[in-house]
Amino acid sequence: MKRREFIKSGTALAAAAPFMNFGAGSPLGKKMLILGLDGMDPGIVNRLMARGELPNMQRLGQRGVFTMMRSTIPPQSPVAWGSFISGADPGVFGIFDFLHRDPATYFPMFSQSETLPSRMMVNLGNYRIPLKPGKVVLKREGPAFWDSLEERGIPATIFKVPTNYPPSASKQRTLAGMGTPDIQGTYGIYTLYTSDESEAQSERSPNNIYYAYIDENNVMEGQIEGPKNDLVKDGGPIVAPFKVYVDNRHKTARIDIQGKEVLIAEKEYSDWVEIDFSLIAGLASITGMVKFYLMEMGERFRLYVSPTHISPRRPAVPISTPAGYSRELADKVGLFHTIGLPADTKALSQGTFSMENYIAQSLSVFEESRRLFDYELQRFQEQEQGLLFFYFSSLDQGQHMFWALNDREHPFYHPEESRRFGYITDEMYRKFDRILGKALQGVGADTAVLAMSDHGFAPFRREVNINNWLAREGFLKLDSRDPGASIFDTADWGASRAYALGLNGLYLNLAGREREGSVAAGEKRRLLETLKGRLEALVDPKSGEQVVSCAYISEDHFSKDFISRAPDIILGFNRGFRISDDSALGTLGGDLISDNMGWWSGDHCVDPRKVPASFISSFKIQKPVPDMQDIAPTILKYFGIAAPASMTGKALI
Amino acid sequence: MASKVKLSKEADQKAVEIIAFHGYSSLEELVEDLIGKEYEKIKSGDNKEELANKLSGLGYIS
Repeated sequence: MKRREFIKSGTALAAAAPFMNFGAGSPLGKKMLILGLDGMDPGIVNRLMARGELPNMQRLGQRGVFTMMRSTIPPQSPVAWGSFISGADPGVFGIFDFLHRDPATYFPMFSQSETLPSRMMVNLGNYRIPLKPGKVVLKREGPAFWDSLEERGIPATIFKVPTNYPPSASKQRTLAGMGTPDIQGTYGIYTLYTSDESEAQSERSPNNIYYAYIDENNVMEGQIEGPKNDLVKDGGPIVAPFKVYVDNRHKTARIDIQGKEVLIAEKEYSDWVEIDFSLIAGLASITGMVKFYLMEMGERFRLYVSPTHISPRRPAVPISTPAGYSRELADKVGLFHTIGLPADTKALSQGTFSMENYIAQSLSVFEESRRLFDYELQRFQEQEQGLLFFYFSSLDQGQHMFWALNDREHPFYHPEESRRFGYITDEMYRKFDRILGKALQGVGADTAVLAMSDHGFAPFRREVNINNWLAREGFLKLDSRDPGASIFDTADWGASRAYALGLNGLYLNLAGREREGSVAAGEKRRLLETLKGRLEALVDPKSGEQVVSCAYISEDHFSKDFISRAPDIILGFNRGFRISDDSALGTLGGDLISDNMGWWSGDHCVDPRKVPASFISSFKIQKPVPDMQDIAPTILKYFGIAAPASMTGKALI
Repeated sequence: MASKVKLSKEADQKAVEIIAFHGYSSLEELVEDLIGKEYEKIKSGDNKEELANKLSGLGYIS
């Protein structure tokens, strides 16, 4: 079935459905289970359903609805899940892209959270002691839907929903998801020890690549880099040394670290290994955890060490509410990944992982998530009422990396890799269908069930440098044409009218808002419409395809509350196109449009109409095509609670 | 540049709350600290590298 036909069939299905079929009874005693399957594409679901390969999703949809759902503008996960949490459009909760910008400096900044270092320090010998700890602040504004449930005494477990790090204050059980950093405050820096000299010299920044020197006793020494020690004057990162005893005959190795012995065989992952990073000997330390992956032995030795995750047993920063929830999970299920997006896509993009290595890690992450889900599902079954939301990242991360395996038109298509691994995307969908099947068996017919995503997926074949385009069209004036220069170094702001930052953002250089704004308020609307028209007329010379299928003027689409943070135009790229890495960070140079030659080959930072989300529910709904912001008011109505005024979405039941 | 600044009632109230929240000892200390931070932001391009690492960590840029 073609996409357009599917849209029609989904519409017809929902329109033909009678109104809600929720069971009678008081709101108390009701239960709802939501599976958040990031990136689940309705087109792929539909294709696999037609072949009978997703029987549980099909059965669920037949009970209620299977349709497409409108994602947010733009369809980026922090924005779309923010809309899910808030029941509102991004103007209400204030997140419009992974990156925002500071108009006072033009510099980009991360949109979801901000770290405020402690500024009350005293010097004590070699140490700098904070009198008041620093803070990490969540920049998502307004209440979450689970706050309303809490007020009515309805328990909720919110497992790893994105855009909730640090978790907002709550008595509900919430665990932070996407946005949660590693112990160094990054989103994952891995380490590779390799005996291949040329590989050891390769540039894979910001990751650590070291030469593995194995001595005559078959011992290799290494170290794991921890957080920077801010308690010591001019302190660098704290390191944890380890030794590897290599046994090539039995293809195994023993790793000794901080009194622990870790035994692993070639091609195996270790369990999580907790590591203490000492800030002040005997007084203060931070606990992280890593997994070792013995990738190769023999002719070439390669040992991968995962990014150092925050330990859920002893988190260095808040990752759950109540604070003990992450510890409870670790005690009951075992240690688990805490970085928001745990599969190491960089390791594959940079050639440290082969596709086989990446799939092995991806399946390991999936299995760990499944064990955690089994625990929460069991707990939910024992509850008399309440809500369980459980988030899975595997479909999203997988489709980013696996897309080219099944896309013959992709410039990075490899026939041999495709033959070996082309099965994996469909297999991931089948795995989630089995998870849903188990959940449906467990919860019984009186529990409302929803399996949903935040967006679908599209090919990422061509990358577009919008800053190059702005310069070419005369909207951005540069002092220099150096290739690789950034707008921060070379823009003549007094003469520049617009600039691009983030994955979908285009900003006017507005007088009174930007530091050196040049566009007067009275010119704003006309310039926005000029840019919209010119962007939508941009055509890829290689294929003749339209590059931007819709340039969304923000003031026409968002509530006003926090619209000051929004780009003035959200770039809705056509399928096949996405912003280039350079343009996202304000760098110029290179071609305007070029082939994407990397494993990160699928994406969703495009026109939301091109990547609708999936909605599969046990209940019927009143709207042919629901919207992401409608979910929260629907949850509240199901539990008999009126939606707060901040919610712009409408209940679907 | 004049060193005396007149604050509106609203800004003054916000300043009092910020002082209490972060533990500044005076309004002067708060203003000096904020100016220092803003100056650092303008002069430093380091945060771009940090952001690049974050986006790279998420996978969105290589």
